Amino acid sequence: MIQVTNLVKDYTLAAQVYRVLNGISFTIPQGMLSAIIGPSGSGKTTLLNILGGLDSPSAGQYLLNGRDVSHFGPDEWAHERNHTIGFVFQSFQLIPALSARDNVALPLVYRGIPQRLRRIRADEELEKVGLGHRIHHRPQQLSGGQQQRVAIARALVANPPVILADEPTGNLDHATGLEILEILRQLSQAGKTVVIVTHSQEVAQVCRQVIEIQDGHIVTNTMEMEHSL
Amino acid sequence: MTWKDGFILAFHGMISNKLRAILTMLGVIIGVAAVIVLVAIGQGASSMVTSRIETLGTNVIFVSPAAGTPFPVSETNIVAHALPFSLQVVPSMNTGSKVSTLTTQGSAQIAGTTPSYLRLGGISLAAGHFITPEEVSASQHVAVLGANQVSNLFGAQNPVGSSIMIMGQKFQVVGALNAVGQGPGASQDNEIFIPITAAQTLFRTTQLSQMIVKTSNPNQANLTADYLTNLYTNEFGSSTAVSVASEDQVLLTLQATRATFTNLLAGTAAIALLVGGIGIMNIMLVSVTERTREIGIRRALGATREDVLLQFLFESMTMSLSGGLIGVIAGLGIMHLVPLILKTPAVFSPAALILAFVFSTAVGLIFGLYPAIKASGLDPIHALRYDG
Ligand SMILES: Nc1ncnc2c1ncn2[C@@H]1O[C@H](COP(=O)(O)OP(=O)(O)OP(=O)(O)O)[C@@H](O)[C@H]1O
Ligand SMILES: [Mg+2]
Repeated sequence: MIQVTNLVKDYTLAAQVYRVLNGISFTIPQGMLSAIIGPSGSGKTTLLNILGGLDSPSAGQYLLNGRDVSHFGPDEWAHERNHTIGFVFQSFQLIPALSARDNVALPLVYRGIPQRLRRIRADEELEKVGLGHRIHHRPQQLSGGQQQRVAIARALVANPPVILADEPTGNLDHATGLEILEILRQLSQAGKTVVIVTHSQEVAQVCRQVIEIQDGHIVTNTMEMEHSL
Repeated sequence: MTWKDGFILAFHGMISNKLRAILTMLGVIIGVAAVIVLVAIGQGASSMVTSRIETLGTNVIFVSPAAGTPFPVSETNIVAHALPFSLQVVPSMNTGSKVSTLTTQGSAQIAGTTPSYLRLGGISLAAGHFITPEEVSASQHVAVLGANQVSNLFGAQNPVGSSIMIMGQKFQVVGALNAVGQGPGASQDNEIFIPITAAQTLFRTTQLSQMIVKTSNPNQANLTADYLTNLYTNEFGSSTAVSVASEDQVLLTLQATRATFTNLLAGTAAIALLVGGIGIMNIMLVSVTERTREIGIRRALGATREDVLLQFLFESMTMSLSGGLIGVIAGLGIMHLVPLILKTPAVFSPAALILAFVFSTAVGLIFGLYPAIKASGLDPIHALRYDG
């Protein structure tokens, strides 16, 4: 579960202060599939980076799974990301020199898991995203959709409860984008908290919670109730 | 990240870009090889010098005057009977001169001396005989040639029985010496020995250049040197004008010289290693810039700053260690070729090998530190956005 209260982010550029996030408060429950939408430059990426501890807020409170992480330092965050957060990026962010398997296994390296076990786990995750036959391929030898699936496998390999995805379908064609979205939707159904930053209305419609921000403010926050029961 | 992972990672990085790895290591390879080869040459040269000295024995004392100090031949007898034990005192009177035969000419060190010179050791006859006591008392014009003089004046011919001209006077060659080789004793190869009596008339002086004193017992050498110093101070009142040096002291001086020589070579090689280290630092800095995005990715996936620091440090150390290893192999190879090509001996020094290896590891650590610190200090967000 993600809870933020009065989150503020200022950037200082040439002695001028820019307020990119101006008092953001919301709650994303565990197992939710959540979309953050808004115009370009509204602060979506900044918000997601703060949720993942890559960036730090100027003010406000952040509770991650009930723990106050507002004042975590870089190394506490490194540990936190390794254990509770899986990142998926628009530009995939795979390491070109490494095979699909070694890319997927990366988070486990920083848990001190031995190489043999890392490979077994990585192969399992690649199998799940339908790339069991591509474990030795380098990123350049894979299509965009395949690269994004490798990135998802990497986000999942350490089994984190939270997945943060910044425009995960932004660099993919329509059909491939829908495939990736379906994988993320199933993950939320399996109990993971999935937050997707997106420009796509179609993606947002699939999500059960939609948070819209504009100029650093939340303009709407709608959550669909669980009807399926 | 574990140490094992760090080294595996660094090793894979190196293999995946072999050319760059080799270029990066080149400085360290050359540095380490240079340390091993140069120290081996230095040690080889000094071992040669020492062995030459040691063939003369440690019971030899050199007595030489300062310029302008009287040092007459007559003192030979005084010194010879100055001590209660028997001393062999060989006077020597030296000058450089042109020499010639009917067909060839050259230059030589002319040494007027006595038959006892042969008994100092270090030289041996190839043909004929050395100066005899009869030739000295009769002041005969006879000469014994050093090996270089034989080959310069007579080529491959046997010189014994031929005549040579020294300072306008005719001398008969009665003996030829074997080559002594290189080192400080090598001067003997360029010398021509004549009876000291003949030298006195030829040089028109009774002034000696040097007195070589040999004790029959090596243990008496230092005592004799002290005694002679004392003798010259008190009896002749000229201790500063005459220097007395035992073989031991000459050896010590030579050892100091050779240590300086070896240190100089080692220093040169150390500079090469330092330059190698700077090479590693440059490439590592380029590598950090190139892999900015990778660093961002690793940080996003849970790498701490220390993990990143260690990753780059492992890389520079793997590089310098591998360079050190290749350098050791190359250095040992070249060391074995040195005697064949340069005709000087090379003596392997395990200390130089260990030093070179430790130094190259230290180079990797020290020069890898700055790039590694730079990498670990990168802001993950900027790093992820970096496109290069
Ligand atoms: N490091 C920075 N320094 C200064 N300003 C920044 C920095 N990073 C982001 N900004 C500013 O913050 C604002 C929000 O940027 P952000 O990347 O979060 O927008 P976004 O909603 O993700 O946009 P897009 O939809 O185009 O990705 C922008 O105006 C941007 O210029
Ligand atoms: Mg963005």
